[in-house]
Amino acid sequence: MKPKRSLLNKNSTYLTMIIPIVILFFVFNTLPLIIGAFYSFTNYRGYGGFDFVGGRNYLDLLTDTRVWNSYFFTFKYAIVGTILVNVISLLLALALNSKIRFKSALRGIYFVPNILGGLIVGYIFSFIFTYIIPAVGQTFDIPWIENSILADEKLAWIGVLIVGVWQAVAMNTIIYISGLQTIPNDVYEASKIDGAGTWCTFRKITLPMLMPFISINLVLSTKNMLMVFDQIMSLTKGGPAQSTESISYLIYKNGMDGGQFGFQSANAVVFFILIVTISVIQMRMTNKKEEQL
Amino acid sequence: MKKTKLLFSLLLVIAMMSSVMLSGCGSGGESGKIEIELVQYKPEAVAAFEKIEEGFNSTHDDIHLTIQSPNEAMTILKTRFIREDYPDIVGIGGDINYSNFLDAGMFMDISDYDGVDEIKQVYMDMEDELEFIPTDGVYALPYVANAAGILYNKDMFEENGWQIPTTWNEFTELCETIQDKGIYPLYFGFKDTWTCLAPWNALAVGLAPSDTCARVNAGETTFSKEYAEVADKIKVLLDYCEPNPFAYAYNDACTAFARGQAAMYPIGSYAVPQIKSVNPDMNIDSFVFPTGDNESDNVLNSGVDLQFCVMKNTENKEAVYEVLRYLYDDETIQIYLDDQNAIPCKEGDFELPSMLDGMSEYIEEGKMADFQDHHYPSEMSVDAMIQTYLLDTSDDAAETFLKRFDDDWARYNRDLIEKVKQYEEGNK
Amino acid sequence: MRKLRKKQHTNWFLTFVLILGCLTVLFPLYMTVIIAFKNPSEMTNDVAGALSLPSSWSFDNFAEAMRVTNFWSALANSLVITGITIILSILIHSIAGYVIGRNMMRKKGYKFLYFYIVSGMFVPFAILMMPLVKETSVIGLANPVGVILLYLVFYMPINVMLYSGYLKNIPLAMEEAAEVDGASVWKTYWTVIFPMMKPMHATVAVLTALGTWNDVMTPLVIMSGSENTTLPLAQLNFQTQFGTNYNLAFASYLLALIPILIFYVVCQKQIIGGIANGAVKG
Repeated sequence: MKPKRSLLNKNSTYLTMIIPIVILFFVFNTLPLIIGAFYSFTNYRGYGGFDFVGGRNYLDLLTDTRVWNSYFFTFKYAIVGTILVNVISLLLALALNSKIRFKSALRGIYFVPNILGGLIVGYIFSFIFTYIIPAVGQTFDIPWIENSILADEKLAWIGVLIVGVWQAVAMNTIIYISGLQTIPNDVYEASKIDGAGTWCTFRKITLPMLMPFISINLVLSTKNMLMVFDQIMSLTKGGPAQSTESISYLIYKNGMDGGQFGFQSANAVVFFILIVTISVIQMRMTNKKEEQL
Repeated sequence: MKKTKLLFSLLLVIAMMSSVMLSGCGSGGESGKIEIELVQYKPEAVAAFEKIEEGFNSTHDDIHLTIQSPNEAMTILKTRFIREDYPDIVGIGGDINYSNFLDAGMFMDISDYDGVDEIKQVYMDMEDELEFIPTDGVYALPYVANAAGILYNKDMFEENGWQIPTTWNEFTELCETIQDKGIYPLYFGFKDTWTCLAPWNALAVGLAPSDTCARVNAGETTFSKEYAEVADKIKVLLDYCEPNPFAYAYNDACTAFARGQAAMYPIGSYAVPQIKSVNPDMNIDSFVFPTGDNESDNVLNSGVDLQFCVMKNTENKEAVYEVLRYLYDDETIQIYLDDQNAIPCKEGDFELPSMLDGMSEYIEEGKMADFQDHHYPSEMSVDAMIQTYLLDTSDDAAETFLKRFDDDWARYNRDLIEKVKQYEEGNK
Repeated sequence: MRKLRKKQHTNWFLTFVLILGCLTVLFPLYMTVIIAFKNPSEMTNDVAGALSLPSSWSFDNFAEAMRVTNFWSALANSLVITGITIILSILIHSIAGYVIGRNMMRKKGYKFLYFYIVSGMFVPFAILMMPLVKETSVIGLANPVGVILLYLVFYMPINVMLYSGYLKNIPLAMEEAAEVDGASVWKTYWTVIFPMMKPMHATVAVLTALGTWNDVMTPLVIMSGSENTTLPLAQLNFQTQFGTNYNLAFASYLLALIPILIFYVVCQKQIIGGIANGAVKG
């Protein structure tokens, strides 16, 4: 009798612990999500009255070139960004984890971009792109950097990408370094005795053992890159020629400021579903890889 | 273990320290007085409004006025409206935001305020044009207007003996002359998309009728027709400005103009304080953008830059009117004018800033038309569309742009067009 | 044999490359510092001029920037919001992580709860923004308290994931021993589990701190129009349409960066260690 009662007791204690937290989460996450989804069926401006418009907002999404362009930009940015960030940070992690001098100082410095706010970093880089780099180009007669890349509608996204990658590399590098440190040294020794070369060791040992960390990094950086906002705000404001409007920026800009709250809510709902789908797929895929090992 | 403990205690100390600091900051409101809150959207005018606030409070014992001049004011106002946390008076621009707020029924009819008659009729007419659905009452009281055209470096013009152009041809010839001298005739800050609207508006007032948008809504004309010439001429300007104007922001353009890198700067009068902050001694004057073949065709681009609206929910109408009386006192207006280089909307003898000399004739005669972009819905981002068009080097760029203008307009104004139609049918 | 010994030596080439690479990090910071100290008249468009040190190291720009952004009040707000958020995150999220982590293997409901909360990570802020503005004002939370509550919710998914993941490293036997001694769930939690999760507390503190300190949007939409600003929010002061002064702006940016830089220099090991720990054990 007694153990059962204590188990019941325990369960109710668990519930009293978790219920207030879940309520808090529901009230400030799920509830606004539901309200937002509700507004996506209206023509609400954010203030004043509104009418129900049924699925019109969703149909409009399909035919709105600006929305399509923002999706195209965001995904281009996220895919290239995720690949770049992970390649660079993996290389950096390997370098920082090898036999070098000033190891901790160097690690410390390479992490700095991550602690700085995206908005301020964007403002600083905006100045560098507009003045410093073109000045260098003019002085040394390098034609392709004589103009600010932020002013070129074909290249501006690369400017945003550089800043995004600059900031994101730091965090992923630390995660990779900690991953590398979980690989015991004797595994390397063993492979060396087998006569494996550096590349072979990396491919056959390092990479597979890092898989869980690659998985974390891929999911995190894809998600962050898809939600790019601060950099757009401070670097391009979506320009030039609307070539760098990310989905988040468009939702903020037209939803908050532009009186398209209903329509952009529909956009946000679609965006949310997409992000969840992508993350689930990614986790499934990398989990499978892990299980194979 | 030890280190995490250290980190922990550090955080705790910071949190405790800062909560002590914060609790010291709170202050209670004064009792017994009527509190009036005014939010105005021009943060660059904060100094003038601080003066006005002080002046009001030192002369009124029963009313306490608070003027807020926040940054990102329109976003803040919109979020406050969503919150239903209304100030008593708002100072906003005479643009599409006003139209939307009015349409949402947020403002009070102030036709019984005694100062309405003192406002120049031309500005009151502009307010009427901003109403989606015509209304009877008065919902906005224009305070000051700005003017857009071309600012020029007076000393540079005098040294070289350049004449103020009065027609489009004279203007382009002048640009050629200046260019031959090795000076940029114009300078743009097109990285900030909104600056694309300055030359656009200045050209459009001369080349397109002022009620273009309303007529498009009524289905009487198209933008492709009305804006074709505007689109052609704005592109010509690119031949006379610095290379790659899309690399530079508004601030950069102001700085370049202030440093004498360019002879002219197509922008509004609001840019003068910024230019003067770089070069306080600069001698700036302005002229109306010469858009057509005859001088008589030129129209000054001037719109309501700041107007005051009373929120419907205010509980102290009398006190609000007292504030309005103080704001529209000649001396108060002069405080603002001295600080901000603006054109007063009230009748009367005011000292106009010297950089508006070249435009004063138009102002006195009332040969003015509102900024066309005051009618563009902000979510349509016409400024970015113009920037896209200016960057587009293909042959049919103008066609693409104008077609998109018409298509997007129909999309973004769908509800509005519907509303106008219903209203008109109801009136028949 | 020779190869093996060579590996033990410092790789000077790599060290050199890495030091050179530091320039990519330090150069923007260098630019910020020198621009912050210069006068508007010292700003030139040629390379040498742009990179040169300011002619004098005057703090006028900083004093002016502090005045305009109301620096001390903004700093105090940022510290309070970040500090309280961290403390509450550690207390609340660790409980959630514990309860969910211990029960999700046995009970479907908790498993569902876990995915319910963790999926919150993927909700874009943009969709929550407007409804949240309305909600917080109705409950009277359009103030720093509301912002803190929102942060607690925004960081709950990642923190719950970290805590419940870390819990796998803490053997059940520890709790069972305490229970046999007659301790309640609460008591077991506070005396046994909470102290044992200390490394994860550090991770949570670091991640939450970096996120909240640099956030602009939440305070902007929730507290806008009131006297309260945070440090990043105050930076918008310099980015209004009319009137930007690069020197003043950069002085202000630098001021906003300095607190977190100091914090980083002091606690660098803990911060990097915390993140590494989150990656390995989360």
